[in-house]
Amino acid sequence: MKKAVITGIGIVSPVGIGKDEYWHSLEQGKTGFRLVSLFDTSALNVHRAGEIGDFDPVPLLGKKGLRTLDRSTRLINVAAKLALDDSGLEITEENSCTIGVSIGATFGSLHSIAEFDRQGLVEGPKYVNPSYFPNTVLNSPASQVSIRFKIRGFNATISTGFCAGLDAVSYAADFIRLGRADIVLAGGVEELCEETFLGFYNLGCLSGIDGSEPVSCPFDVRRKGIILSEGAAVLVLEEEKRALERGAEIYATVLGYSNSFDYESTIDFSHNGKGLGNAIKNALKEASLAPEEIDYIGSCANATRGLDRMETLVVKDVFGKYAYDIPVSSIKSMIGETFSASGALSLAASTGCLHRGFIPPTVNYEEQDPKCDLDYVPNAARKKMIENALVLTADPYGNNIAMVIGKDAR
Amino acid sequence: MIQKLRKQSLCSVPKMNKRVVITGLGVVSSIGIGWGQFWNNLLKGTSGISAVSSFDTSNHFTHNGGEVKNFMPKEFITEDRLESLNRSSQMALASTKLAFADSGIHPGYLNNYTVGVSLGTTLGDAQTIEDIDALLIEKKLIGRSNILKIPTYTAPCNIAKEYKINGPVLIFTTACAAGNYAISYGYDLIKLNRADIVIAGASDPFSRIEFTGFNQLNAVAPEKCQPFDKNRKGMMVAEGAGMLILESLESALQRNADIYAEILGYGLSCDAQHMTQPSVDGVAMCMIKAMKEAGIQKEDVDYISAHGTGTQANDRTECAAIKQVFGDRYKQIPVSSIKSMIGHTMGAASAIEGVTCALVVKNDIIPPTINFETPDPECDIDCVPNKARKHTVNIALNNSYAFGGNNASLVVKKYI
Repeated sequence: MKKAVITGIGIVSPVGIGKDEYWHSLEQGKTGFRLVSLFDTSALNVHRAGEIGDFDPVPLLGKKGLRTLDRSTRLINVAAKLALDDSGLEITEENSCTIGVSIGATFGSLHSIAEFDRQGLVEGPKYVNPSYFPNTVLNSPASQVSIRFKIRGFNATISTGFCAGLDAVSYAADFIRLGRADIVLAGGVEELCEETFLGFYNLGCLSGIDGSEPVSCPFDVRRKGIILSEGAAVLVLEEEKRALERGAEIYATVLGYSNSFDYESTIDFSHNGKGLGNAIKNALKEASLAPEEIDYIGSCANATRGLDRMETLVVKDVFGKYAYDIPVSSIKSMIGETFSASGALSLAASTGCLHRGFIPPTVNYEEQDPKCDLDYVPNAARKKMIENALVLTADPYGNNIAMVIGKDAR
Repeated sequence: MIQKLRKQSLCSVPKMNKRVVITGLGVVSSIGIGWGQFWNNLLKGTSGISAVSSFDTSNHFTHNGGEVKNFMPKEFITEDRLESLNRSSQMALASTKLAFADSGIHPGYLNNYTVGVSLGTTLGDAQTIEDIDALLIEKKLIGRSNILKIPTYTAPCNIAKEYKINGPVLIFTTACAAGNYAISYGYDLIKLNRADIVIAGASDPFSRIEFTGFNQLNAVAPEKCQPFDKNRKGMMVAEGAGMLILESLESALQRNADIYAEILGYGLSCDAQHMTQPSVDGVAMCMIKAMKEAGIQKEDVDYISAHGTGTQANDRTECAAIKQVFGDRYKQIPVSSIKSMIGHTMGAASAIEGVTCALVVKNDIIPPTINFETPDPECDIDCVPNKARKHTVNIALNNSYAFGGNNASLVVKKYI
């Protein structure tokens, strides 16, 4: 079985464009929340989100071919371009068929879908512009990456909500391990739009819904909900030998992963997290690592009451006493909840930890919750060289995925 | 003291040595609920196309579609659950129940195994989004239960909850090729030892968005779908679900299961050219990769279940690709499109066609391409016109292509 290594990272996030700016912001504990400008929130109680301010794809992508692309598609194309540039790879006629694209996206196309449908309802179906129809398929962002960069090996889109980003990376890693592809651009994307915002708002999931100032404070007893965000992350996964041969910089190796459903799951995460626990155990097994060899956990806690509690419970269950010695931090305190992009953004952050030797903080942490009593790296990053990191995502409908990455093994 | 495990190999994923077989089939389609009725109607050449009734089409250019009008969710799902399930989930769950009943696996049996769900769809539940769009226009409040039905992945999660599943649960949204992506990932899950049994398939409800979009692209036929016919006028938007129970050969033999077919491998490719226009090279590469992974030669293919949507571009491109791949032999391979009968069920299409391929290799009968009237020199394949045909099929190739140039072909083999 071959090994999949990470040789390129492209990030578009509320705290920075490009991996260096992203890692730097995370290390500084910078947050990326601002007043929403993409749509009108005046009728609502919440006005802040992790909107990527002044996002302009033109400097990196050029003007050509951008006109009909929706925001998600622009975000993921910029991330893909940054990842390719970072990896130093060149896509040619010869290698194009050995390269794939695997992207997690769930609500990224929702605005395009709804707009298209509403135009038909309001103006009549004969007046709908067909050039916007291709944006209504959920595989449009990933497919536009293939079209723009001429990637012919394969193209996949996975839409498993919170887990989609890591699911897409695991799918990509399988393809490399099995020798079906040499290189895969893998990641996730989600755009901020009115429809998604309203959905989370009406479900009562957003922080600030009671009129207070929104705050993303995972694990803190004051936590009352998420700050919705947007972003895209693309990681270049490459077969190890090939990466070594071309002298590529290897940031990390994908050691193992597991996706495990929790049929006892509830929308408010009041369940005990058996599925997430299984996912972690299986991922460690596949990585051939003992629990004590994990040096850092990239948490998926997003400041909802149930999820942060459940994740803590699961970490204690799997790691026993050692749970208290592992730094567990949530970058969602800084970038917010990016849904299907979150797993890929978290993986990119953990890759930075391995590569640069730092642990990002959980910012906005003030008051301890007795049920959340692990080392959450409160408010300030730490300098620390680490070998292996575990990245988690859990979804309220029951999906869970855990992924283990390690430093280059040589 | 830290107990260090020996790092013999950092990638200890087991080798791909398992054989994967299909042991249960479930279908929800306009020509039959359950594979028996569906198969009989396929062989008779029955059309499931009728006037669209789920929304007003008076302002559209065309008015026909492939709705499943006699689907009664209550026959499969208890009333207390029905409320929280969107149509996509209802059809997916119904076809799963049919497939499990067909496989002889009782729900209790699953407790001892790692079970996965691998589904495909184009939009998840388009109808929920469409209902909400109408409410948004009228500035009405969107209720909690409606919002909870939006996420694309509700169908696989609802199946997983119903059967208390603990394995991997995924959904692919690779548009009209999603079913093949889902089946092939299910095959990988078993091969890689990540699951013992996988529920694999796809579901898509009838969608106003798709109906309007394809109409605006001038891609919908007004009356009937006529794949490969010179005068073909387009596709027929439809709905449905197809589900397959996949398991390792040893597991199937152990429980003395009836085996429909074996999955030998699959191939994916991407056109990387255009969102809606297919490419001969992309489609050809997909078939070649599938055969390569399956370890078969082009001479081994006895039947091709075509993507065959009935649009000018698709059928012309697919036939050119078949010519390119199979050379001199291309006219000798029967190539039929069941979309001539049930229309294009979007993401569900290649799952329902996967069910069809399993039945073809099991029974050595090929369903026809109906509505075939005038040969097209650009589509001079043998499309099994209008009448089903007895034909020994050892290996079938199931083609599917999608928006974005996402191509997937699956190789299904007779189990002997």
